[in-house]
Parts: sequence; structure tokens; C-alpha cells
Amino acid sequence: MDMKSRKKRRNVGVIGVGQTKHSSHREDVNQPEMVFEAVREALDDAGISMDDIDCVVHGNMELFEMIHQPDLWHELGTGSLGKTAFRLTTGGTTGATLFCAADNLVASGMYDVVMAIGFEKLQEGNTTAGITNMADPLWTRNLQTGALTGTCAYDVIQEFGEERAKRASMMYRVIMDKHAMLNPKAHRQFGLEFDQIDYLMEHSAKLVGELRIIHMCSQSDGACAVILASEDKAAKLGKKPPVWVRDHITIHREETFNILGYDNRYPVEMTHKVAARELYRRNGITNPLEYFDVFEMYDPSSWWGLDWIRDFFMLEGDEHLRLVENKEIMIGGRMPINPSGGVIATNPIGATALIRPAEAVLQIRGDAGPHQIPGPVRHGLASGFGGTMWTVLIMLEKDLDWEQESRP
Amino acid sequence: MGTRVAICAVAQIKNEPDIWYMRFQGMLLECLESIIAATGVTFDKEKGIRDIVTCSDDVFDARTISDNGMTDVVGAHYRGEEKIAQDGLNALGYAMACILSGHDDVVLFMGHCKESQSESRHMCTNLAYDPFYCRPVGLDFLTANALQARAYAAKTGLTDRHLAEIVVRSRRNAAKNPYARDNKMVTHEEVMESPYLADPIRELHYYPVTDWAVGMLLSCEERAYEFTDRPVWITGFGNCMDRYFIGERDLASPMSLKKAAARAYAMAGIEDPARDIDLFELNDACAHHLPLIAEGIGIVPEGKGPAWIEEGGPDKQNVNLSGGMLNGNPIMLGGVARAVEAYLQLRGEAGQRQVEGARRALAHGSTGGAGQHQTVVILEK
Amino acid sequence: MSETFGVKVEDIFGTMPDRFRPEAAKGIDASYGYRITGRGSWRLTVRNGTMTIERTDALEGCVAITTADPDTFVGVNIGKVDGMAALTTGKLRVEGDLMALGATTKMFKKYVTPKKEPSIGEYILDMFGTLEKRFKPEAAAGLDMTIAYDIGGSEGGKWTVTIREGTCTVTEGLAAEPTLTIMVNAKDWVDLMLGRVEAMTLLSTGRARFEGDLSLAMKLGEIFAPYRPSAGAQPEEQELVVLKKIISVNQRFATGPVMGKFLNGLKEKKIFANKCPRCKRLQIPPREICAECRVRVEEFVEVGPKGNVRMLEYTYYASPDPLTGETRETPYGTAYILLDGCKGQEVFAHFIRPDQLDRIQLGWNERKGTIVRPVWAEERTGSVHDIKYFEIDE
Repeated sequence: MDMKSRKKRRNVGVIGVGQTKHSSHREDVNQPEMVFEAVREALDDAGISMDDIDCVVHGNMELFEMIHQPDLWHELGTGSLGKTAFRLTTGGTTGATLFCAADNLVASGMYDVVMAIGFEKLQEGNTTAGITNMADPLWTRNLQTGALTGTCAYDVIQEFGEERAKRASMMYRVIMDKHAMLNPKAHRQFGLEFDQIDYLMEHSAKLVGELRIIHMCSQSDGACAVILASEDKAAKLGKKPPVWVRDHITIHREETFNILGYDNRYPVEMTHKVAARELYRRNGITNPLEYFDVFEMYDPSSWWGLDWIRDFFMLEGDEHLRLVENKEIMIGGRMPINPSGGVIATNPIGATALIRPAEAVLQIRGDAGPHQIPGPVRHGLASGFGGTMWTVLIMLEKDLDWEQESRP
Repeated sequence: MGTRVAICAVAQIKNEPDIWYMRFQGMLLECLESIIAATGVTFDKEKGIRDIVTCSDDVFDARTISDNGMTDVVGAHYRGEEKIAQDGLNALGYAMACILSGHDDVVLFMGHCKESQSESRHMCTNLAYDPFYCRPVGLDFLTANALQARAYAAKTGLTDRHLAEIVVRSRRNAAKNPYARDNKMVTHEEVMESPYLADPIRELHYYPVTDWAVGMLLSCEERAYEFTDRPVWITGFGNCMDRYFIGERDLASPMSLKKAAARAYAMAGIEDPARDIDLFELNDACAHHLPLIAEGIGIVPEGKGPAWIEEGGPDKQNVNLSGGMLNGNPIMLGGVARAVEAYLQLRGEAGQRQVEGARRALAHGSTGGAGQHQTVVILEK
Repeated sequence: MSETFGVKVEDIFGTMPDRFRPEAAKGIDASYGYRITGRGSWRLTVRNGTMTIERTDALEGCVAITTADPDTFVGVNIGKVDGMAALTTGKLRVEGDLMALGATTKMFKKYVTPKKEPSIGEYILDMFGTLEKRFKPEAAAGLDMTIAYDIGGSEGGKWTVTIREGTCTVTEGLAAEPTLTIMVNAKDWVDLMLGRVEAMTLLSTGRARFEGDLSLAMKLGEIFAPYRPSAGAQPEEQELVVLKKIISVNQRFATGPVMGKFLNGLKEKKIFANKCPRCKRLQIPPREICAECRVRVEEFVEVGPKGNVRMLEYTYYASPDPLTGETRETPYGTAYILLDGCKGQEVFAHFIRPDQLDRIQLGWNERKGTIVRPVWAEERTGSVHDIKYFEIDE
């Protein structure tokens, strides 16, 4: 017997979303207080109280703040007292994992209403040192500098030429900032204009290779809380129509970055390509660019953001560059990407990957506010990224009308 | 669609004081090979393992994203992996959800911890406390447990002699457990003279530094017999979080423990645990935990722990025949070790410790100082 | 162009000596240049825990030169403009060692615009203007009095305060028959209200005089809340405490037999990979398992020592090493090298000799990159540092 006969046991909807206003060091709150802000907002958004919550799922990257088991201290702000409580951590993908875990927990029938909470107070630690700590202490830790790499820029430049590549990634950057300017929760809002592209391309300080400081994601303090409920409970509770979780997939890669040989005789498949391919195949999606109305992508830098559009949408050649160059990824464009401003604008790491589906939910519900894309928004995609190029990919739907097929 | 999840295979290495000669990857690889050999399971994306649940800790591993280091040896290359960052017993509950939700057919669980790696596990657990008040005051899991031990002794009259009995018994039982940490046998006098770590907890009352790795294969009901002819079913799961500030908790009678047990019993349809369950594996990091947890899960009347010890209650009710955490399992995996013993007992593979005809077992785990978070799992043949 | 924050560029530089924190400059011996467009250049020199700042165009030898327009420069220094944002958008440009420049942020206390103290006349007006607000009715229960304040001097004035039935009214001028008259010159009155002088001192020296019921005069301190100067209409902010701590827990990392063999090999100037029995791929450094095939890897193969460079991470920004707390000198380069015997993605990571970074050519597909060879440390202990770096094989 194989997986063909197994379906999702029951439907799961998102009934509440909350975020803090993400920022640099929140000196005015301690960690549980900051988490509470997001929890409070999510509960208000759903119109419920902690009494309605069965289970809390919590996560972050603890080596940033150097708190062991932070969910214990955070009981003061998460409302987990007396509740079932899980803690999951998977590096940068944590937030997305929390979302998937909440979905699994509700779909299983074990819990009816689950709240996922991701947070980070990056300014309370040293982010790059924290990420460097991920590598093998016997070897790579001494050679690596956190998440900073010039390899992606190198890839894109090799393929499309320096001028075009640099311009496209800066165009992506400006678009992300324009979106961030419309998102009151976003951390960094620079007010960049398209006519600054030439200047920024040459003058923003370099970090590694052609990765410049302006391309790189933010380091933020912030929290996000998302409430998921079973179909029955979503009908009874929740002020707004639930947004349905259709499916999710997690694809990791081995412990080291064995991807830098630059030899196409030995191709390597990136996890986002594998995740997209498998998730779409088992859901019958053959043209993702047509199918999805919005994509909240975990874009750690504008080089990766630009590059990954190709495989997330199963495009060929320079189609993804043209989407960016023609500004089709903007709010109002053909394929809006990161109407929230994305990770480059806001990155409280433990929350970042949870903010992606949270923002996609807001878009589908139509109440994202100033950064709302014109509707109707029916099919949403959200991704998480972390570790050694891992991907989590989540599909969200406005209506419960997709064919609940057995999973092939 | 099936309603039960089974444990089809368990693999472990021996609990040891200091596995200096292997990295955790090597420790886990042995477990992986054993599970594959025992079940024939593959990593085929359609028919085999495509999602893995792990358990490890960043602070104890001194490694950000500690599960990243495990990726290869748990077979997570181009598969999914999700790390439970609490006592690994919770991973059984989570893996259960992954399977019952329909997302996965089979889930591999792998956990490791090397307490010997850092200079002091107390420095590590001190970091669980807020940096402003509890941490500078010196709270860590040891001192929190000591406060609890004092509260419990004041409430119930538990004495140094009871504690000695608990320790002596733990080592005696562990001697029959080939995977338990090798500790020397001690006498009651030696325990009662052992130096204080944190009054009233003496050195011999506290679980010793231990390194360990473990793996399990879990399966949906429909496919369990593909992997084993004697699946052990997880029929009950419950966990619960208590208050952070230690002064606000009932340390001697934790609310979170009672609630976790109640949730597990409800799921498993158990009304009288003492009657309905044949053996109990309780996560006793500290000697006083044994009677305290026994009361909390409802097999000993509240406040009667010491009498239970005097009357040989643990032996009569088949409690901690493995030697318990007290004999030595690392933090993060104490609860898993309890589940492993329960599994072996229900399959009749517990050797000299075997409870004849055991049909149902309870495994308990806890996370945090004085067990702020508690987990209870019911397993059945 | 004037500085929009009311602070001049010269104010920032001029106050540097006062704002200097020598403890943050320990062990630093460097010069930093500042080019403020349209205004001029400055050179900050730090040596032996002391600093000098001079206006000069001679910026040779500066470890970093910052260029900015006056508004951005001032804004960053007074905390009104986010330094990172300015750097990112190019409004603030740095040539040279960004990390070294970062050290200067801790060397100076933030520039704070000095508050202008109000004049005596301004104080007097404010003190009497706030009297009604500072009146405490509960302390004046049962009291019925008029107080005439005759404040002398050019900045003085005359006021009458009437207290009756729990209310208080302040009017200008002196009442005809007050219960109490207070005569004092303006400066002394201000000093008294600000706590700079005691009432007894003024009374005993005759600088303040009373007419009327002295015991009533003693009550005045209870009937009115003390005067607090309004700090430029800024509300008093709660002081937030930030706790700074470095956490350090020593670790003893095991190497195990696989990494152990590799590290021991380095002691003998040998580089070992291991080879998967199934797919034959090499892993370097070696790992216990082949992640693709999920089988144990036991066969070791010596590779290199030379190889060709496939990728170079030319790093301008370094962060502290989490194991040592030290920061690497920039720029440095981490290279991914295909050692002889390896193919495809079986690359080996290590450093390139810093002075050769710009000469490295990268390989691509069949084309080989620059050939490099390891430079071994004199003393080898079985660690990543047994190889100092790779240099061009010339």
C-alpha cells in the first residue's frame, strides 16, 4: 500500500493574523512583551480569546538571543499557560515550519485551534556571528561569514552579463522597497526611486563580491502570530472568512554547501526547484505563473529573490528577469511578489518565514491595507528559506474548492 | 483513514558518560543503519520516508540550527526535516500529527544530545532564565529542581532515606538494562553522604552527565505491518505548559503534569491509570521526581509519595524498571528513553526487566526547570 | 545650505574631544578621514587612547574615509538619521575598512544639542505662570490667605496669590491688604525655586524679607508642588535599562574517526576526502555518511594538494568569529577549490593568500581556474589552521 489513498484528514483555515511593527532594537519591550503584541493582534483579528486556543507552537533561532528554551520564559506573553505547547526550530525556515506544524496538528484531529508564534530579537545578539555558528565548528565555521555570499550574484552575472544582472537585481530591490513603503509593519522603508538604480548599483557598499549592503536582508526585532482552526471551528469562531491551507512541502539539503563547483556537467538541483516541482505536481498545478495571484517569497537578498523567481514559477531562460524589468512583480502587476516588502525590508528571523504565509493570508482576505494587491486574490503561495538552502513551500486558497485528491 | 500511529522500530546506542570518540553524526548513523536493517524502510519519496522529525538543542550542541548538522545522517537530503526543540517525547506527539493529518505515511524520528560537550550543563540551563532577574539570581534547572525538592519534602515528609532508596533502586534496575549508563552500585549510606549539589539535592540524587542518540520509525496504521510484526501503538498523547515564574507554581504538585496526564488518558480512553496501565516510565532527572511524578499522573494518592516508596510501590507498579532518567539519559531525550523502554516492554524485548503480559505502558517526559512543561504518552501493544 | 537639525558640522567635530571615550579606543592606532561635501575635510587620529581632530585635506593613510553631505553627516551623529540606511542607500559612503570605521561609533558619546537655559525673566514668568497648576487643594484645606509677591529687579514683577476655600488664583499686581508679603529680587527667587539656595540663607542675610504671618509662609512649601523647569517641552522619558552581556560556555568538540582522520592527515600535509561506496562521490572534508545514498562511507582517498579555484568569496565585511571573538582583516577571500582528484561539486573551502585575491581567475565548466597550492603552517595541530591559505601555484 502506498500514499495514493491518503488525503488530508480535515480542512484547516487561518482565522487570525498578528504582527508587531518590525523594527531595529525594540528597547522598549522585553521578549515576552514583544511576543504578546503579536499574539494580542492575532486574537483580536480572529475575534477570539486564549480560551479558544488549544495549542501553541513556538519557535525562533535561539542562538541569536542565547536563551535556552525561550518558550518557557515566553509563557508570560504567548498565553501558553495550561495549553498544549510545542516548540519547533529549523533555522531560517522556522516560521514556515511552525505554520506547517500548526496545519499538521489541526488536520490530524488532535487539536482544533492552534496558534503558531515566531519571533526574533536580532538586535539582542550578533546576527552574523549567530549564523556563522551554524557551520561545522571543526572546519567551515572558521571560513564562513554568516549568510553573506556573493555566489548568487556571480551566478546571475555569468548567465546574463554584468550590466543587465546588476540592473535587474537593483530593480528588484527598489520594487521591494516601494512595497515596504506601503506596509506599516515593515522595518526598513528607504523611499528608493527607480532613478536611483544607477547610483545604487555603483555606490552602495560591498559586502561580499557583488553582494552589496543594499541587496541584503534586514536584521529586525519582531514577532508574528497566526491562528489556524479546523473547518468546524473556523465556521464558529473567526470574524473574517478563513483562508484555507491547501498543502505544504519541506525540502532540505545536506549539511554542507556542495554547490559551488560551477560545472554544468554535474548539475545540482536547488531545493526551491524541487519543492515547487513536487508541490505543484501533487496538486495538479501546471502553470504556476497563471495559477497564483500572489507570492510572498522568502528573499534573503535581492539577488536570490531575482534568481529564484525562475524556478518557483517553472520559467525558462530570462523570463524571470523580464518579469522584474517590466515591473510585473509589483503590486498591480501580473505576478505580484512580496507586496509586504519581503525579507529584505523586514527580517526578524524566527518570525520571517511565518510572516510570509501571514501576509499571503491578508492578501487573500483583501484586508492587507495600503499594500493590498488589486483583487480578487484567490490562490496564494508563500515560501520559507534557511539552513543550507532549504525551502518550505505553502499553498493557500480563498475557497475550499480544489479537488481534494489523494496525494500521489 | 486509520486513527492510530505505531512505533515500528527503535534504535539506540548505549548511554555513556562521555562519547569523546564519536561525533553526534556517528552516533546517529548507527541508529539509522539499525532502523533500516530492522524494517527495510527506504527513503523513496512515494513509498518511504519523506519527512523526518528530529530532536536536539542549539545551546547544548553549541551550534545554531543544530538539526542542520543532523541532516545527512537522518536522511533528510531532499526530504523534509522538522526539529522539536523540547523533550523529544513531544516529537512522538508531533510525528503522530504529521501522520494522522495525512501529510505523511511514515515518519523517522532521530534525536541526540551530548551533555559532555559543554563545560557545564548548568551554565546552559541557566540560559533558560530571563537575563534580568531569574538568571542573575542563579536559577538553572538544578536549582529549580532543588527548590521543588524542598517544597515536595515539606509537603509530604520525603526524607534523605527515601531518596537513597530511590537511587539505589534506580541503579539496581539499570544494571539489567544493557543500554543504560554503566554506574557503580551504591549503598544507602553512600547516597546519604554524597555531597550536596544544591540542598537538598545531593550529587547522587541527580542524573549524571550523559551522551546518547536514538531513532524510531513511526507509521500510519495502514502500513505498520510492512515494517514490523509487532507494532506498538501510540494511543494517548498530552502535554502542558506551566507558569514561568517558579514562585507562582505549585512545585510539589505541578498543574502541567496533571493536565498532560489527563489529556493523554482522555485520548487513550483510560479512566484508572493504576488499574489500566501495566508499567510506567517516569522522567526522574532527580530522585524526588519519582514519587512526585507518580502522584501527578494519579497512580499514587497526592502527598503519599514517601509511603509509596517505603512500601515498595515502584516495584509493585512496575515503575522505572529501566533505571529511569536518574540513572543517566541526556537532557532533551529523557522522555524518549522512557518511551524506548515502554516500547521494548510491550514487544517482550525487555530481557531481565520484562513485565510479563504487559499490554499498556505510560512514558513521561519533561522540559524546563522543575518541569515547567510536561509530556505524557500512552503506548499499547 | 544649512543643516536642518540646527546643528552644524563644525559642532560635531568640535565636540569630539569632549565626547571621546578612551576606553573604547584601547589598542587602536589609526586615522579616519571625513569628507563633508561643500564643507571640507577632517582627519581623526586615534593613538595610545587619545585622539586628535583636525580640519585638513591630508587624508593619506586613513584606514577609512567617509563621504557625506552635511545634513546626512549631522543627522547620523545626532541619531536622527539611521546610519545603516544612509550607508545602504549611498548617502553615506565609505572607502576603506568598513569594520575599522565601525570601531569609531563606540568611541564617542552621542552628540546632544545643549539645552539653552532660560533667562531669569523667563524663569520668573514660568514660575508664576505654573503656580495655579502646582497648587495642592488638599494641603490648603481650611486656609484663607492672600500672598503678595514683590519680585525686584529688572526681570521681576508683582503678583498676588489668593487662596480661599480650596482654590487658588494668581493675579498680577499687589493686593491692598495681603496676609503675607514676600520681597526678594528675581535672581534669588529663581535660585530658591530651583533649589540652588535655601530659604534660611536668604532670610538670614536679609536678601529676602517677609511681612505678615511667618508661620503661613512656612506652609507655602506644602501648598504648592515644587517647580520643575520644563526641558524644552520634551516629556521626561523613562530611562530604559539595557543589559549588555557576553555569554561564553567552553566546548569540547569531538572529531570522531572520520573528521579525526582528516585532521590528523593535515598534520602530515595530506588532504583526505572520503568516497561513497555507491555513487563514488568524494566528500571533502569527509563525512560519516553520503547524504545522497544514505550509506556509511569508509574509504578514504588522498586528494590535491593542488587544485583550481572555482569560486572566490571576495569579502569586504567580516563579523566576529563566534569561537574566538576576533574579526578577520578585510578584504579576505574564501575560495572553493577543486583539488586534484576531485570533480564537479567536490570542492574544498579555504582561504586565498590575501595579497593574491585580485589575481585569481575562476573556473567554469571544463575551463580550469587559477591553479593554487596549500601553504602549510609550520606547526600543525590537526585543525583548519594547519593550512594557512592557498596561494597561486607559480
